[in-house]
Amino acid sequence: MIDTVLKTEALTKYYGKDLALDHLDMSIPRGCICGFVGRNGAGKTTAIKLMLGLLKPTAGTSKLLGCDSRQLKPSIRQRIGYVTEGHRLFRWMKISELEKFQQRFYPKQWDYKLFADMIEYFGLSKKKKVKHLSNGQRAQVSLALTLAPNPELLIMDDPTLGLDAAIRRQFLEGMIKLIMSENRTILFSSHILADVERVANRIVVIDKGVLRANCTLEEFRLAVKKVKVSFTHRVPDEVNIDGLLSCRKSEKELELTLVGTDDEKVKHWVQTVGADRYQVVSMNLEDQFIEFTRPSGRKRLFQWEAN
Amino acid sequence: MPTLWIQILSGSDKPIYKQIVEQISELIAKGELSMGDKLPPVRKLASELVINPNTVARAYSVLEQSGLVVTKTGSGTFVSNPELRSSDAADINALTERMDTLITRGLNLGFKSRDLAAMFKDRLSTFVKKRESEKKK
Amino acid sequence: MRFLTLMWKEFRESLPWLLLATIVLLAMGGFTLRLEIQNPRPDWYYSGITPGETVDTYRLIQSTVLSVPGAWLLVISIGLGLASGIRQFWMPYFTKTWAFELHRSVSRATILSAKLCTTLLAFCLPVGMVWTIFYYYSCRPGLLIMPPPLRIFIEGWIFIALGFVTYLGTALVGLSEARWYTTKIFGLGLAAIVFLMIFHWKLSWVFTSMTIGAVMLLSQIIYTFHNREF
Repeated sequence: MIDTVLKTEALTKYYGKDLALDHLDMSIPRGCICGFVGRNGAGKTTAIKLMLGLLKPTAGTSKLLGCDSRQLKPSIRQRIGYVTEGHRLFRWMKISELEKFQQRFYPKQWDYKLFADMIEYFGLSKKKKVKHLSNGQRAQVSLALTLAPNPELLIMDDPTLGLDAAIRRQFLEGMIKLIMSENRTILFSSHILADVERVANRIVVIDKGVLRANCTLEEFRLAVKKVKVSFTHRVPDEVNIDGLLSCRKSEKELELTLVGTDDEKVKHWVQTVGADRYQVVSMNLEDQFIEFTRPSGRKRLFQWEAN
Repeated sequence: MPTLWIQILSGSDKPIYKQIVEQISELIAKGELSMGDKLPPVRKLASELVINPNTVARAYSVLEQSGLVVTKTGSGTFVSNPELRSSDAADINALTERMDTLITRGLNLGFKSRDLAAMFKDRLSTFVKKRESEKKK
Repeated sequence: MRFLTLMWKEFRESLPWLLLATIVLLAMGGFTLRLEIQNPRPDWYYSGITPGETVDTYRLIQSTVLSVPGAWLLVISIGLGLASGIRQFWMPYFTKTWAFELHRSVSRATILSAKLCTTLLAFCLPVGMVWTIFYYYSCRPGLLIMPPPLRIFIEGWIFIALGFVTYLGTALVGLSEARWYTTKIFGLGLAAIVFLMIFHWKLSWVFTSMTIGAVMLLSQIIYTFHNREF
């Protein structure tokens, strides 16, 4: 029986007439490191806030650690770490005061050494007030505050947005360290696919409020591929192949981006249209994501889930 | 345990686990990693490279399947005995694929097949010599 | 422990305003009290008021030496009410810290109670204490012909209570999710009505309207805080 740490069912959110989230179905098992990716405004923050009970769903449900998001008990919140969008903290507090404040809510699980080590590693002075910290430094403090209680479930809303590469790396290191602890689950939204590739073992893609993919990172990497097909004669006008995401034509070549199409089908199609040869072109995760979320001229949105 | 200089390129076309597999294979092929050498523990390497430990585990698993390394439960992962390695069809396939690329390039660049063969022989003997000298150290 | 931690945080945040309020009240109120004592006015001690007549609150306090300090108390209380309401319920929007505040291992009720209790104590202790000092001082034997009656003391506390009602009104305005301006400022509107009561009604009316106003505002605040989106 898989222990599901986070589960949403048909989670929908309207802001007036604007649909921000459309029937999100997501379930994250314990121990999973899930990268939640989508373009700006895709609905990632909305989804996260709904999961944490800060917003009310228009329809659907969301459960964290078995508890409904709108009724999250204090004992459940105790087990969840949340890195908020923008790392907003109380500006007037010194880092030492913030530590004291935060620690009081996690009396039995606060790791003093970890917090101290992290602050020292970041080169911050505990006497500094939050308002005198840069964005990057504030992010560092936010990370330390969230990791010190050793949360069972860590939810991070675009934690590396606007941060430089060095600090982004520190965040990843912190996440890796947490991953090494038993059974920690992390959900983090990001639009830096390289970071997601390093750390995540699961990827959830959301586009314009709609869930587009929900699978292991490996499956996604294998599924989205680019195929270059060469023709001696004319390139066919119509391209009919399963899983076509996009198609680029030149005089004697077709470049197809496909999802979920196995090699057999590709071979078969190539033979059917009488092409000379084809070649699979490797893509990096960012390219795969861009192709996968490219608005299709035919307005065809489909959800692809490998199980 | 020798220091392992592995670098991964994030945002690359090549999946991370594959990069690790290739780099370790290369080190073994060059003789910088020899029989009995212990690979860094999964967690240590993951921590150093700042990647998910599962990725490292996967790379080690692939290396083990191809016979380059052997995992002894409780002790770790070690470079296997080259004499005990069998080259199976997949290995041969991978090698011929690379050879084909090399040959195509060489011929397209204008090299004659005779020169290409000589070049290959030359590089091979240099490599083997280097490996022998590493072993003696 | 967690409740106290929250209260500490709220207290530290409102400290500048609290200090300002207390110091200004003490200084200006004290100064004018001294002045009034040194320059007695002919219309003190209920002149023009017949015994048995029900009197508007402010008119009574006006006719004593505590009239000007009383005015200061009224202004300071309302000011402190506005400042506290804004600091606790409007500022988190601008600093975007609601998410950080609300994701705590305590119920929302606890978070809200900490805010309310801190402000209540702020009104009762520093501000209330200063008023008590003024009253106690003006009752000193030999200072005046007749000490101001206890009712004046109570009327001062009514002003303090009004300050708290203003705080509740401001809080509700900050929490209100209404998009129409008229509905949104309902909280302050109600506080304003209660304010006007002071100048036109008997003491019992004042108490009643103050209580009803406070209860209405409080219940709406509790409901909104639990149900609104952040």
